[in-house]
Amino acid sequence: MDKIKKLLAEQRAVEAQFNSRRHFLKDCTLGLGGLALGSFLNSCSSGSPKVPAYTTDRSLNPMAAMPAPYLPKVKSVIYLHMVGAPSQLELFDYKPELAKLHNQPCPPSLLDSKKFAFIQGVPNMLGPQATFNREGETGNWVSNHLPHFKKVIDEVAFLKAVHTDQFNHGPAQMLMHTGSPRNGRPSIGSWVTYGLGSENNNLPGFVVLTSGGTPDAGKSVWGSGFLPSVYQGVQCRSKGDPVLYLKDPKGVSRNLKKKVLSSINNINLKEYQKFGDPEVLTRINQYEMAYRMQVSVPKVMDIDKEPDSIKEMYGVEPGKEAFANNCLLARKMVEQGVRFVQLYDWGWDSHGASPSGALDTGFVKKCKETDRPIAALILDLKQRGLLDETLIVWGGEFGRTPMWENRLGIQNSPGRDHQGDAFTMWMAGGGIKKGAVHGKTDEIGYTGIEGRVSVHDIQATILHLLGFNHEQFTYDFQGRPFRLTDVEGHVINEILA
Amino acid sequence: MVLRSKILWFFVGALLLVTLLFLGIKPNEVVDFATDVKPILNKHCISCHGGVKKNGGFSVLFESQALGLTESGKPAIIPGSARKSELIQRLHHTDPELRMPYQKTPLSADEIKILTDWIDQGAKWGTHWAYLPVEKIELPKVTTVFEEKKFIKNPIDHFIAARMADKKLLPNSPAPKNIIARRLAFDITGLPPDPDLFRSFVGNKITYENYVDSLFTSSTYGEKWASWWLDLARYADTMGFEKDPGRTIWHYRDWVIKALNRDLPYNQFTIEQLAGDLLPDPSVDQLIATAFHRNTMNNDEGGTDDEEYRVAAVIDRVNTTFDVWQSTTMSCVQCHSHPYDPFRHKEYYNVMAFFNNTRDEDISDESPNVIDYKPVDRQKIDNVLNWVSTHADADQEKLFKDFILFEEPNYAAHHFEVIDNAFVYGPNFGLRKGGATIIKNVNTLGQPKLYLKFVGRSNRSKLVFRKNGINGEIIGEFKISKNDKNRQGQLITSIDISRETEVFDLYVQLQTQDNTLEKEHVLVRWIAFMPELPGKGKPGYAKMNKNLSEVLNIKGDLTPVMVENPEHMKRKTHVFDRGNWMVKMEEVKPGVPLTLNPWKERWENNRLGFAKWLVDEKNPLTARTLVNRVWYQIFGKGLVSTLEDMGTMADPPSHPALLDWLSYELMHSMDWSVKKLIKTLLMSATYRQSSEVSQEKLAVDPNNLFYARGPRLRLTAEEIRDQALHVSGLLSDKMYGPGVMPPQPDGIWEHVYLGNLWKTSEGDDRYRRGIYTYLKRTSPYPSMITFDAGSREVCLVRRSPTNTPLQALVTMNDPVYLEAAMQFAVAHEDKESKAAIIEMYQKATLRKVDDDKLKYLLGLYEESKSTFENNPEQLEDFFGLGQLTDVKTASLAIIANAIMNLDEFLTHG
Repeated sequence: MDKIKKLLAEQRAVEAQFNSRRHFLKDCTLGLGGLALGSFLNSCSSGSPKVPAYTTDRSLNPMAAMPAPYLPKVKSVIYLHMVGAPSQLELFDYKPELAKLHNQPCPPSLLDSKKFAFIQGVPNMLGPQATFNREGETGNWVSNHLPHFKKVIDEVAFLKAVHTDQFNHGPAQMLMHTGSPRNGRPSIGSWVTYGLGSENNNLPGFVVLTSGGTPDAGKSVWGSGFLPSVYQGVQCRSKGDPVLYLKDPKGVSRNLKKKVLSSINNINLKEYQKFGDPEVLTRINQYEMAYRMQVSVPKVMDIDKEPDSIKEMYGVEPGKEAFANNCLLARKMVEQGVRFVQLYDWGWDSHGASPSGALDTGFVKKCKETDRPIAALILDLKQRGLLDETLIVWGGEFGRTPMWENRLGIQNSPGRDHQGDAFTMWMAGGGIKKGAVHGKTDEIGYTGIEGRVSVHDIQATILHLLGFNHEQFTYDFQGRPFRLTDVEGHVINEILA
Repeated sequence: MVLRSKILWFFVGALLLVTLLFLGIKPNEVVDFATDVKPILNKHCISCHGGVKKNGGFSVLFESQALGLTESGKPAIIPGSARKSELIQRLHHTDPELRMPYQKTPLSADEIKILTDWIDQGAKWGTHWAYLPVEKIELPKVTTVFEEKKFIKNPIDHFIAARMADKKLLPNSPAPKNIIARRLAFDITGLPPDPDLFRSFVGNKITYENYVDSLFTSSTYGEKWASWWLDLARYADTMGFEKDPGRTIWHYRDWVIKALNRDLPYNQFTIEQLAGDLLPDPSVDQLIATAFHRNTMNNDEGGTDDEEYRVAAVIDRVNTTFDVWQSTTMSCVQCHSHPYDPFRHKEYYNVMAFFNNTRDEDISDESPNVIDYKPVDRQKIDNVLNWVSTHADADQEKLFKDFILFEEPNYAAHHFEVIDNAFVYGPNFGLRKGGATIIKNVNTLGQPKLYLKFVGRSNRSKLVFRKNGINGEIIGEFKISKNDKNRQGQLITSIDISRETEVFDLYVQLQTQDNTLEKEHVLVRWIAFMPELPGKGKPGYAKMNKNLSEVLNIKGDLTPVMVENPEHMKRKTHVFDRGNWMVKMEEVKPGVPLTLNPWKERWENNRLGFAKWLVDEKNPLTARTLVNRVWYQIFGKGLVSTLEDMGTMADPPSHPALLDWLSYELMHSMDWSVKKLIKTLLMSATYRQSSEVSQEKLAVDPNNLFYARGPRLRLTAEEIRDQALHVSGLLSDKMYGPGVMPPQPDGIWEHVYLGNLWKTSEGDDRYRRGIYTYLKRTSPYPSMITFDAGSREVCLVRRSPTNTPLQALVTMNDPVYLEAAMQFAVAHEDKESKAAIIEMYQKATLRKVDDDKLKYLLGLYEESKSTFENNPEQLEDFFGLGQLTDVKTASLAIIANAIMNLDEFLTHG
């Protein structure tokens, strides 16, 4: 009986904590407009009631860092999304049985009531286009396409039976990053920066780095949906302004810009003295922050100054838009306190319809481009003691079929169609059980037969490691509470340390 | 003596009351369900005993369920006896397994008392305020102090004053004329006022009302308010999803601007958008209005299931309709009964049945579309239709009209399945040598003509149409020819077929003398069945038949519209199990939620009837929703602060009587005029107040809930940009037409296989108002997004205003703002520098510059000047405008840039 009472008491305490936090988030952010909806909320500053919302950090700076509601395992996330969906069957999910079926017609039982994006009629099976070895102390499988990755394989926990109900790129990417296949919801990075703010106010809290092109679903995959726009991902670019409109206009020196800024702020201060509108103070603060960002963003984006050993380790190509550069930038960003760094690498859609999308050409090139930098990122974070407070997530938006794609009825170079039922993702870093393998697929890698996890489970797990209960982390929109994981999601305890 | 005892009793009574209040004991007042009980149930009970879960077979969502039998076989509430009611007993229980709410904080003593009293008083159910019809409201009395302050300008002020008096607040004095003139101009037209009009008003040549009326007559009004409506309508220039290709739907945007400008009454505005196609003999404008619901996204990604996205679009239409007109979160009801509000799961699908029978099917050509015909083409179409009406009945005329205008009804390619050597992909199916496709359950209605839209790529092949089998009876044949290139690939043509009165499976087979197996001989987009042109044998028939073929092949700008299914193609609507479109449950008929206003028999049983139901005076939510949202646009917050939701979880209205007064008058004295509604708000003294706020007022009412000061809102994304272009003289007043592409940084539109499509507009189109900026959903115009405009993927009821460093970067560094600043400077370079600065500040803000502020601007000017004098090389490509600038102009441009970043420039005062 005592035990029950104690549990109940704990549950209530958690609830109380959550409620006050939820109100904090909700009212303080809506109060950003100053005159919008924020109110005289005591919960906005738990220590001193009767302090109006606008005097808290959050209303002066919507990115102000906030403690996580539960004990977090990591401070920041680096999410490596291989856009187009890399083939699990050529990387991690070793299927010797599939090799035996190579170029044989697919048994009809596998096609019954199945929907494919491109396969029509009866395709042939396609054996693994790679050789596999057990690597590291854990002896986990990895293909010959990833010679560097095998060095860090013991740091990683594999999810071998991830599934998604979307098998088209756009919706599947939206689901992976916003929890819904339809556009309009906030991305995971937006949720996280909304909930936690950023440790470094001179840099954006949620940074997006792309290589090869924009994801199929467009910028909506890092959009803020219904959250205030301040929480959307900021794309830091290798060409042009690293952040849009960051550079001072031609002919305006830093020194003159400083004068412009102080004149604006001085006049705005006069305006505040006359009108008394606290929103003016916020504006003054934002202009100062913009000025600081103009200095700190180019600095963090400059990889030239890194030592040669580091450049070598990642294999960077300064001045280009390259995945290797982005991995190094990701490390620099989390080092500087950026909360969420999202990398997108385009070009993994290996249908076999063209050389760039064939498993024996384009795919091999993509592996080469990403293998070294990913291994370097893990090692580099580790040697700086940052791996324990960073979460690295790797994956695509779905997996690929064991069948050889026959687009429009024609079999081309080796390639595979989209498959939502089973694919591999991995995580590494703080709170992750090193070397763990969770989930198993059938003999041809077609469906998960053990330890299946969903996209919402992945999201729940990421939020968990950052110190959130995904079921309690909500935002009211169109009159109802929304959450990243919708009404689904379980934390994947099997891969947690 | 009598008098005295009365006074005595009065005192005793008062004392008693005071004592009771002092002790915190309330007499057993009559408990009201909606205001007292429902909030408690929503807060503590309904998440386990409501629309989603019904634990123990008990739910407090509907009266019948709450008072009905539970799983235990007994009711949980026994009206008249709280003591016997399980609900109350459970609240007091000491066993944590039994005490409710289960494993949660117990109810407070006050809450338990309310529930207890309510049951003892008979457990009378009640209706949430927002579901009660809007009644006429009397104006409250106003205390003299407000009259003395001349605060009462119109009825709104009565309500506002009454609440202010409750809080012992007094209104601000009116804002100075120049300030209110600018505020009004932005609120009505989204732009600063015309200088002459401004001078007339500030110089007392015209009244406040004259000034307001003049602003309303400007067509810039429609452009400003269209932004608001287009957020709700989720209007964009692209289809959304993966490729996010362009769509031509700007005719709809122009329709909205025009409708607002001619002040089309809101009820008619509603009917035309939801059901313009179902009005008797609709005009092209009324058809274009229906593009409101064609703004749903269309998924063109290879390999997607069109039916899945068609259903998604229909679901979006239901949700959006309720978001826009009813402040009701209908989306909750898609998967289960509403968690809090009295809407049943099934009712969602009853409403969906109204929307589930349009012809659009998520095809990438967005059919059905209406063509923006040139007058000469229009004439040709009328000739054909006149011929039809002369020789046949009205039904036939409608049939031909729909076919000519929309190419409907047709069987689209995606309904076909591959039999052999063929493919179904995108909007077409294609056939190779010996290839065949099938479509099941075709109904030709016995028509003798088969039409098809196709691209021919061979001159040596034919299509053979067979019945019920690959070797079945041939019903018709079509010899393919390579299409003329000028026809843009697609051609619509017809063949004669045998009359088939039964439903059958149609096989389409390609026969050719060509030997290559891979070659595609034909791409077919759709087939359709039609009667022969009536009037056979009459003089001129052959020519008219040719004309028919010609008008079917007219090309032009397309706008996707709503077109209803003919009877034989009607879809059935089913309840989806937990909202999953793949799992269909019982079939449902069109209907409206029982909680809201009753259906009238005379209404059409389709979208048109539904639209009429929505704007019926008895609908409790339509007028209230519009009033609340227009109020938000003007005052920056709603009378009901949860703008999206007026359900039982919504915040109660801050001024309920005012909300209802405005709603009633909107429907009656204002005849649904949106202009009149806005004007009523603007004519109030409440609106006219200065926005200055003292520390004392800020402490009492930080969020201005009681309106004891005027609104001071940050301008919208469009307004900030339009204003910069306007003050610098760059803004174009060109209206309407396709979206334009003002300068944006390189590399924003990156699509790997579609290429970079942003082509910066030339001439006037560079400087058009923001409403005309091309909006690509997956990559919206960056500076607009930074200032909180949406990406228009889904209905957006309000933009959440933010204040961020990225905004500062836009107005300081975006080339659009630099060009505006330079232009502003150039216009003043002939003046002496101080005079130029004073004038620029005044033009930009419509205020005289204070000495303090002038001092800072002059200081900045001097700094700039000396910097440029010492570093003349900085002026070679100043602001990146590609030309040498002189020291003075450059220094003034710096001032202009600073002015365009001032709070007084970015807010509406």
